[in-house]
Amino acid sequence: MRVDVVLRYIGMVMLFIAGFMLLSAGISWLGGMDSSFYPLLLAALLTALLGAFPLIFVEKKEQLSNKEGFCIVVGSWLVACAVGMFPYLIWGGEFTLVNALFESVSGFTTTGATVLTDVEALPRGMQFWRIASTWIGGMGVVMFALVILPSMGRSKMTLSNVELSTLAKDNYRYRTQIIVQILLVVYLGLTVLATLSLKLAGMDWFDAVCHGMSASATSGFSTRNASVAYYNSPLIDTILIFVMATAGIHFGLIYATVTGKRNNIFRSEVTRWYIGMLLAGGIVIAVSLYAADLYPTLSAAFRYGLFQFVSLTTTTGFATADTNLWTPLAVVVLIFGSLVSASAGSTSGGIKINRLLLAGKMMRVRLKQQQHPNAVIRIRMDGVVQETELLHAVMTFIVAYLVLILLGTVFATVCGADLTTAFSGAVAMIGNVGPGFGAVGSMNNYATLPGALKVFDALLMLLGRLEIFGLIQLFFMKWWR
Amino acid sequence: MTGLRKRVTIGFLSIVCLLFFSGMVSLVELSRLSHDTDDILRANKRSIELAREMLDAAHGHNVALIRLAVFGDRSYDSLCRASMERLETALVVAQHEALEKSFLDSLAFATTELRVLTDNYLAFGIAGRDERGARGAADPVGVRWYNEEYESLYGYLTAAVKSYMTSTQSSLAPRAEQMKKNAYRAVTPVLISLAVMIAIVLMLYYFMSIYCVDPILRMNKSLGDWLAFRMPFAVKGDLKDEMLELKEKIDALISLSKQNKA
Repeated sequence: MRVDVVLRYIGMVMLFIAGFMLLSAGISWLGGMDSSFYPLLLAALLTALLGAFPLIFVEKKEQLSNKEGFCIVVGSWLVACAVGMFPYLIWGGEFTLVNALFESVSGFTTTGATVLTDVEALPRGMQFWRIASTWIGGMGVVMFALVILPSMGRSKMTLSNVELSTLAKDNYRYRTQIIVQILLVVYLGLTVLATLSLKLAGMDWFDAVCHGMSASATSGFSTRNASVAYYNSPLIDTILIFVMATAGIHFGLIYATVTGKRNNIFRSEVTRWYIGMLLAGGIVIAVSLYAADLYPTLSAAFRYGLFQFVSLTTTTGFATADTNLWTPLAVVVLIFGSLVSASAGSTSGGIKINRLLLAGKMMRVRLKQQQHPNAVIRIRMDGVVQETELLHAVMTFIVAYLVLILLGTVFATVCGADLTTAFSGAVAMIGNVGPGFGAVGSMNNYATLPGALKVFDALLMLLGRLEIFGLIQLFFMKWWR
Repeated sequence: MTGLRKRVTIGFLSIVCLLFFSGMVSLVELSRLSHDTDDILRANKRSIELAREMLDAAHGHNVALIRLAVFGDRSYDSLCRASMERLETALVVAQHEALEKSFLDSLAFATTELRVLTDNYLAFGIAGRDERGARGAADPVGVRWYNEEYESLYGYLTAAVKSYMTSTQSSLAPRAEQMKKNAYRAVTPVLISLAVMIAIVLMLYYFMSIYCVDPILRMNKSLGDWLAFRMPFAVKGDLKDEMLELKEKIDALISLSKQNKA
């Protein structure tokens, strides 16, 4: 493996990040040069210097191997999380080393969990940087790594193997450069659409841009302490439900639908299940909340119930209500949504509904084979027969995911968290959801957690974002040879 | 500048720039820290001076009123007015300079009360006491007025001045706490710059190794093998710039040598 080539492309990703730091400094300057200007400018300079250095030595290479592509993506994510801490650390305030690490990882992995007790106290430049990190993390890091590879036209999806799950990759029938364009168009289009809609719904420009970026990245970072509940607007809730739900759909399918292609959202089995699950979850929660007299009308219960379910299922994490006060049934449904999450090929984390569907089909096949031992039954998804290797990978992933949740829960309880906080926190961290329940509920934050748990949670976030094995593989030295 | 020289020069210049940069950041942050420390110390000293000025003025006022009210000595009239003005001036200055003005509310109230009481006494209470003052005997009415009306207000005023002094000190404590955080912040950019510099030095070492040192070692070994055992001159790896030229020239020399022998 050519480490110098890997360093070159990671350097280019860092230059991209430095550009966003500079943009955040520009916003700070426009807002009267608040206290975040100097830290952001300094961080941008240092990041740019670090990123530009490998470019002096390493020339552009025409072809990349799979391992190199893999290392570029994973390395970019790790380095992005490290340099993303710079503005926080230099600015100070509530950002200790551990807090800055947590916030940066939470941003770049689009988790959206925060350790800040007063988000509104942050200067505008710093608020924009938080949101920008989630937006870059949502797709930017990987997309940039793909864009900077002009020679990738003839090669296969070397880099996207890691970021997009194997299931998502199989859905694509395009060359890498086309995929990059698709991702860019869908991601930018969704962000612009969300921003304009939120502005028209009554947010100011800054909040609209920030919430638009955050919703498109399914991150959940907000500029308000009370998250979306601050606005208390049914229209804003509706817009965000639409944006979050759309961001949870395979981006290739969105593109195909918009461009009138045959393989679109309406023909996708996964998307049908996904939309059905969102509606069913919203209705179950609404009925549960209404029956418990938590909301005066069924429509109000549905508004809040659907918003929270969509928010957690798409792993966004915006909040319009304190879900700690909700019924046990509603809480269980929300945790189920956090575990299942949205479709592969979107910016959301979690197990992903594709895998759950396949697991369900495998269980059905197992039952049939018990009755007919000699039967050869194939598992299909959208009419396509799924390979055994893929099915094994799905089950392995689900088992590894659940084991990590168990580990996260145990570690959190060792650190002194109660069981609800520990379990829901682990689910929220590895699924890149953000809020959990108990002490880390939708109206709380992660500030009170001990430092060791914050570091462990940061690791869980990274594992979740890189589909577990993506990160683990990096630490096997044999693999490097 | 040739390729290799250019790359190495830029690499070292980057490190020099970063060193200069972190040095400048240290200077800026430390001067800011020093400025903040000066501010805190100056504010501390100033509040003590003002409190002392107010206590002196109150004491002068008290002495003047004892002479006036108890002994009827009108020569202290001017001292009484001057002390009152001193007190009020110090209060105005404190109000102007204070970061936390709420600490001065009770002091301002006590001063206003004292001003009203003093003015009333000087206007109406002092008439007809010239003789007693001349004789040096205490006036029971004046003594009662002093004990019942003035003394409690004087006590309230001095308590307010002391409270102002201590509250200013306690307001300095959070600022000192802030300074502690500021000290960390002053060091953080420098530490980050150093971390970046370490990363750059490691990268420079790595690039120098793979682009300069390793090719020379490989060429040296290969050339040695050719000279000693006539093994073909073959250098593995990706060479560029002067290293590639060097390899090509060695290749040419070897070819020339082979031709000459043939």
